[in-house]
Amino acid sequence: MLHDAPQVLQALEQSAFASAIRQSTWAYLTANVGHILALTLFVAAVSIMDLRLLGAFAASPPGAVVRPARRVAMLALLLMAATGFVLFAAEATHVAGNGVFQIKAVLLALGVANALLVARALGPALDATPAFKPLPARVRAAAALSLVIWLSVAACGRLIAYF
Amino acid sequence: MLRTLGLGLAFSVGATAAVLAHHGWGSYDASKTVVVEGPIATSNYSNPHATITVKGADKTWTVTLAPTSRMQSRGALPELVAVGKTVKAEGYASRVEADEMRAERITVDGKTVEMR
Repeated sequence: MLHDAPQVLQALEQSAFASAIRQSTWAYLTANVGHILALTLFVAAVSIMDLRLLGAFAASPPGAVVRPARRVAMLALLLMAATGFVLFAAEATHVAGNGVFQIKAVLLALGVANALLVARALGPALDATPAFKPLPARVRAAAALSLVIWLSVAACGRLIAYF
Repeated sequence: MLRTLGLGLAFSVGATAAVLAHHGWGSYDASKTVVVEGPIATSNYSNPHATITVKGADKTWTVTLAPTSRMQSRGALPELVAVGKTVKAEGYASRVEADEMRAERITVDGKTVEMR
């Protein structure tokens, strides 16, 4: 534990919950595998959603693709948040001080903000746009940015262990 | 093209991270092997990695071992790395923390267990 870390993180790391994760043979491992499985589901759903906004799968109207994909993405994001919290709690002070984790946290916030902006930029156009009709340029740009951000979040997640 | 963009950004993020280098699996000096031998002073059989402190000839080292599931499957049970046991740990010293090393293998009671 790092003694110069914020008290709230020291308290989290010393909590009975965090201690139980460290002492268990299977908890950390299970959360780690769950985090990766949720990530694959999340990236799959986000890719389908963003690629449709960019103009792929154009034979289906955007609403028919984006809405179900968004539900899967949100479920996967919740799973990642839950499993990620378990991994974080076990060594909160070290992880929070890790430069790659800090970059990941910023990118994560950007990714969520960008998703909200995409939803806003789309508005009624999501359901009103027919098949084969391109979406507005700003929506396409935000969808491309979304893919870049989320792939970078995933890369950072893996890189935490190496820095 | 998007993929290229994504990978490009991921690599630039990686490069930035390298500058901010902190505690991680990359921050051990693998160019020279460190051998620490002595009694185990404290033992923390927990995840993500078990750790022990060992009173070596020069100083007390914190020795990072392996996840407990791997230790168990290789026969390194908590009793093997209990306080008071004499251990020989071979591994690499941290470039970040002066008294820390990660063990490639440990030998206790004549039994050698690989940690990687």
